[in-house]
Amino acid sequence: MQDEGRPMAEDARPHDARLAPARHRLHVNGRGVSVEAAPGTRLLYVLRNDLALNGPKYGCGLGQCGSCTVLVDGRALRSCTIPLRAATGRRITTLEGLAEGGRLHPVQEAFIAENAAQCGYCLNGMIMTTVALLTANPDPSEAEIRDGLRANLCRCGTHVEILRAVRAAAARLRGRAQASAAAQASAA
Amino acid sequence: MTEEPAARRRRWQEADDLLLIYRETMGRPPRLGDAPGAALAVGPQRALYLAVDAGGRVTAFNGHVDLGTGIRTALAQIVAEELDVPLARVAMELGSTATAPDQGGTIASETIQIAAVPLRQAAATARRHLIEAASRRLNRGTGELVVAAGTVRVADEPDLAVAYGDLVRGGRTELTLDPEAPVKPVEDYAIVGQPVPRVDIPAKAVGAFTYVHDVRVPGMVHGRVVRPPVPGVETALGGLLLGVDEASVAHIPGLVGVVTLGDFVGVVAEREENAIEAARALRVTWRPGETLPDLNRPEAALRDNPATPRKLLDRGDVERALAHAEARLDRTYVWPYQMHGSIGPSCAVAAFRDGDLVVWSGTQNPHVLQSDLATLLDLPEERIAIERHEAAGCYGRNCADDVAADAALLARAVGRPVRVQLTREQEHAWEPKGAAQVMDVRGGLDAEGGPAAYDFETRYPSNGAPTLALILTGKVTATPATYPMGDRTAVPPYAFGNARVTVHDMPPIARASWMRGVSALPNTFAHESYIDELATAAGIDPIEYRLRYLPDPRAADLVRAVAERAAWVPHTRPGSHGGSGDVLYGRGFAYAVYVHGPFPGKAAAWAAWVADVAVNRVTGEVAVTRVVVGQDSGLMINPDGVRHQIHGNVIQSTSRVLKESVGFDATGVTSREWGSYPILAFPQVPEIDVLMVPRPHDPPLGAGESASVPSAAAITNALFDATGIRFRELPLTADAVRAALNPPRISGPEHPGGDSAPRRRRGFLAGLFGAGAGALALATTLLPWRPAYPSIERPDSAAYSAATIAQGRLVAAAGACLVCHAGPDGRSFAGGRGLETPFGTVYASNITPDVGAGIGAWSYPAFARAMREGVSRDGHHLYPAHPYPSFAGIAERDLQALYAYLMAQEPVARPAPETGLRFPFNLRPLMADWNALFLRPVATADPARGPDWNRGAYLVEVLGHCGACHSPRNALGAERRGEARLAGGFADGWEAPALTGLSRSPLPWTEDDLFAYLRKGRSARHGSAAGPMADVVASLAPLPDEDIRAMAVYLASLAGEAPAPRPTATATSRPAGSASLFQGACAACHEGGAGGDLVPLGLVTSVHSAHPDNLIQAVLNGVAAAAERFPNPDPGAPPAAMPAFRDTLTDRQVAEVVAYTRARYAPDAPAWTGLEAAVARVRGLRPHAGW
Repeated sequence: MQDEGRPMAEDARPHDARLAPARHRLHVNGRGVSVEAAPGTRLLYVLRNDLALNGPKYGCGLGQCGSCTVLVDGRALRSCTIPLRAATGRRITTLEGLAEGGRLHPVQEAFIAENAAQCGYCLNGMIMTTVALLTANPDPSEAEIRDGLRANLCRCGTHVEILRAVRAAAARLRGRAQASAAAQASAA
Repeated sequence: MTEEPAARRRRWQEADDLLLIYRETMGRPPRLGDAPGAALAVGPQRALYLAVDAGGRVTAFNGHVDLGTGIRTALAQIVAEELDVPLARVAMELGSTATAPDQGGTIASETIQIAAVPLRQAAATARRHLIEAASRRLNRGTGELVVAAGTVRVADEPDLAVAYGDLVRGGRTELTLDPEAPVKPVEDYAIVGQPVPRVDIPAKAVGAFTYVHDVRVPGMVHGRVVRPPVPGVETALGGLLLGVDEASVAHIPGLVGVVTLGDFVGVVAEREENAIEAARALRVTWRPGETLPDLNRPEAALRDNPATPRKLLDRGDVERALAHAEARLDRTYVWPYQMHGSIGPSCAVAAFRDGDLVVWSGTQNPHVLQSDLATLLDLPEERIAIERHEAAGCYGRNCADDVAADAALLARAVGRPVRVQLTREQEHAWEPKGAAQVMDVRGGLDAEGGPAAYDFETRYPSNGAPTLALILTGKVTATPATYPMGDRTAVPPYAFGNARVTVHDMPPIARASWMRGVSALPNTFAHESYIDELATAAGIDPIEYRLRYLPDPRAADLVRAVAERAAWVPHTRPGSHGGSGDVLYGRGFAYAVYVHGPFPGKAAAWAAWVADVAVNRVTGEVAVTRVVVGQDSGLMINPDGVRHQIHGNVIQSTSRVLKESVGFDATGVTSREWGSYPILAFPQVPEIDVLMVPRPHDPPLGAGESASVPSAAAITNALFDATGIRFRELPLTADAVRAALNPPRISGPEHPGGDSAPRRRRGFLAGLFGAGAGALALATTLLPWRPAYPSIERPDSAAYSAATIAQGRLVAAAGACLVCHAGPDGRSFAGGRGLETPFGTVYASNITPDVGAGIGAWSYPAFARAMREGVSRDGHHLYPAHPYPSFAGIAERDLQALYAYLMAQEPVARPAPETGLRFPFNLRPLMADWNALFLRPVATADPARGPDWNRGAYLVEVLGHCGACHSPRNALGAERRGEARLAGGFADGWEAPALTGLSRSPLPWTEDDLFAYLRKGRSARHGSAAGPMADVVASLAPLPDEDIRAMAVYLASLAGEAPAPRPTATATSRPAGSASLFQGACAACHEGGAGGDLVPLGLVTSVHSAHPDNLIQAVLNGVAAAAERFPNPDPGAPPAAMPAFRDTLTDRQVAEVVAYTRARYAPDAPAWTGLEAAVARVRGLRPHAGW
């Protein structure tokens, strides 16, 4: 795939500059961290190798499959396409950062309760995408759920259990929202 | 980090306070490709199956591994049941060669049926021993004792009890498994047969599970491999490597090594992203491989492949029956190459410890891999330990073993632990494919409408796919063995009186190995389609027809149960479900018992489908809307697990039938990402109704594959019901179905590549010499040489005020000098960058104040002449790649400031490469003529306009020299003036779009849009700056907002200068390009929001342009994220970068996706022609710097 016969200066120039490590401050799972890597390093590798966060997985490196999904400022994005420099100054949440106060996120609870994994390699993307989906749309229709997960690939054919988990998670989240609204009302 | 395998093995071998059950066998399980007697020759074996410790915890060992199907849970249930301990107290150790027994590969749905049997016996042996020990301890007869939750009690005296752990403590007891130890009656089962949550999912759902991809060991570095350019064709391997240029990766930080061994090439770096970059940048030269036959329509290639016929069945007199058949019905069914398609590309970690190798692997076959590595590395097997970790689901042989061998080779070469993960492209290209298959049936009806005969032949080009590194390094030959695996379920389940079954065993063509439903799925596609065709021909309901000839009562029970559950309405001709509008509905049936293993094989679970389809007769799109699936699995260890497997099989096999087919060209696999190998996504998942036949008293049967087997025939039979057309070749893509439903009246292949001649592009100097003798003749009258200015001492930058130098910096920014003159570090003005022209490459010069290599010896007048007149200090003419025609109008004050600024830079002594154009373009004196014709300053001042406009005009036309790229050039390569000024041009392989009213942007460029774009590199209404323009935006960063605003004011005023003609598309009914490729490769981000707030493609200027170049550039080379490119990025810009598809998609595929993007997002614009050639041309250009 290499072009033949180019002077070295041509090839080396951009890569040298982009590969030079630099210190970056990131905000991951509620805390500030500092990593030293080239600015073009994809966030996925920084999360996994520098921060030992194994939730996001390499699946394609092309933004196609969704295995590497993380939340960036609450949006489900693909960490295999995000350069480290572009991740600075944003709130990043991984699968490991969903739990609050030692309690799993309701979406995680629902996926566990519904056995919504076979090999589980896509599970990170399914859960993270569902969290973002239900934040934006707490009461999605069946078609909206399917559309929201359309670009998350699962090869094992776990779709039935995953869809069930998303519906269950939506119900859990709505129940929690109603309970807290009721608590506020009674407190008032 | 897990405990070292050797230490773990020692612990089980030596520790006290354990009860251990060993099993003794003669030899090991036979392996595919074994020499005769090889399995027995290894002699007596003793392997640990079960251990109970002093805490009452049970560890059970199994040679088969969990491929994501939940086997870990089901095996634990079996052990817990037989030992009467809570499930939570059982841990399974699967597939570790240091501790687990060799039970052969995890294939063919054998785990529950075969591998679990000794495990159950081991648990029963342990239970009997523990009860006897308790009898002695409690001084009661064994008949008086009961066991619950790992504690033995006296039935009548519940307080008198002893726990397993207490019985084990204080000694080490080794027992030999007794196959006769009494096992529990099924009636007493409390754990087996109950739905049990999977034990692994809670950890997986929080990121705490250690897949093989997550294994890290101290000192680990990262490797990547570079495969030969014969993707997925192992027979082409051997002696392909011609050379590796290690200097091409010398610039990679933390590079640990480049490793070559035969055709094996790998790189190792400290950091993973640097290993990835090294593998990408490494310059490798290969000899081309052999040309493949067409495998996209594989029938001919399979018929031409040398084969050995093997007769499996010959009953009655087939030839006689055929000769006397009332009606002959001969059919051919074709199955495509398909992929396992693991979502996670294969990964492994390898480490040498004191000469012993440990490999952490996701292999299906740990013990086979151990043997392979012994061969590869010339090590005895006992010095190699395979630690099996779960990986992404594989459904057969993927690249798990290949990558384990890659990691071992790299670890040995660099002397450090190495982790290797394959790329998506490598996994797609090189995984051993599920083989294509061709099935022929000769048969017909007898006088009563029964089957006269069934003469079945099947062709299956596949084998075990030797581990790639063995072939790459020359340890095994590239001519692979033939494995006789085409016989699975080759014998039909029907009682045909005259039947013959022949398998044509043949070697692989593309690399192929077993995949879920190995050969049985295609064979059953033929059996179950054919019986349906017979029923239709006989005028009998297809289910009733099957039942007449189905001798197996358990099968018949299942068929009836599924028909009833689906409310099957008997019918004898298609059209049973009618249609509405363009949509036709249909329903089909199929049945199979999956017979696996070497012929005659063993039967796994029975399965039957009723499939409902909807097909759009105009577009050809097929949806499977509902599947009623029944399965008889005997005793179900974990009914939830079985149900889950049925769902998975239905969805995956529906995907295979509707969508999946590996693409090839003459070199190998072209499906190297998910766009070109689409799989079923959520919106297409059918409703699934599962019927599980309760048979707790029958032996458990494998359930991992059975429900896939009836899929293809059920769906094609339903499609026949809907359309009256039999589909005998898969997959059922919209294109294939539309073609069958609407046979074209005029034939003729058509693809977006087209065949129109490649357009000629006018770049710098284009046509200057090509214009011919007329232009050259002018040359004689003009001054070809100019005098030199004497060289000077390098000026002292202290002679210039800080304010002057600061002003010069802004001039350099406005002029974007660095875009061309940047040196290798991207910052200094050392030059060296090449600009592609049709005549050769023009290199930007070194303009640092170095006396020798740069302009340190240039006086100001020499500098000013070069800037304004294009004449170098020594008097030679510069090419107009240097935009001196624009700079001719530069203000004296600005030019002096620029000189001061450049003289204040750090000198760089490195000379830029010499520009060496081809004759006659290398005759610089000819430029004198050119200058006489075209060197005229642009008039920019207009007193009638405001100061912003005038400032903007100066910045745009003079300093910014926008016209150098954005104006078309005349036949002699000069910018055109007048109406054509800024009407669009080309630079460095990129289109520089029109800045006037000729712009084709769907929305007009307002002053605010232009300001946002020039200031932050992005207009939310038009798209992002990319290619050379991104460099320009970055260069403009030092300019104050007022200057950027002035440029926007001026440029916005140009929009009114010329009306934009709007070409419109000619109507076409054929959808252009590939929708499925776009959906798989692009839609996640461009339609699904997974890239953040991208500018909608419908607004992006490049999609609407007359030229496809910029869109092709973006697809091939990607687009950097705003934060990478621009000093002041738009905070609304998405954080994602667009990936480069250069190494992933072929020219044809890029053309398909570009054509589709155009048709979908610029529907009013005419289709681009000659796209495939355009892609090839753009691919040949150097990717833009800074990409």
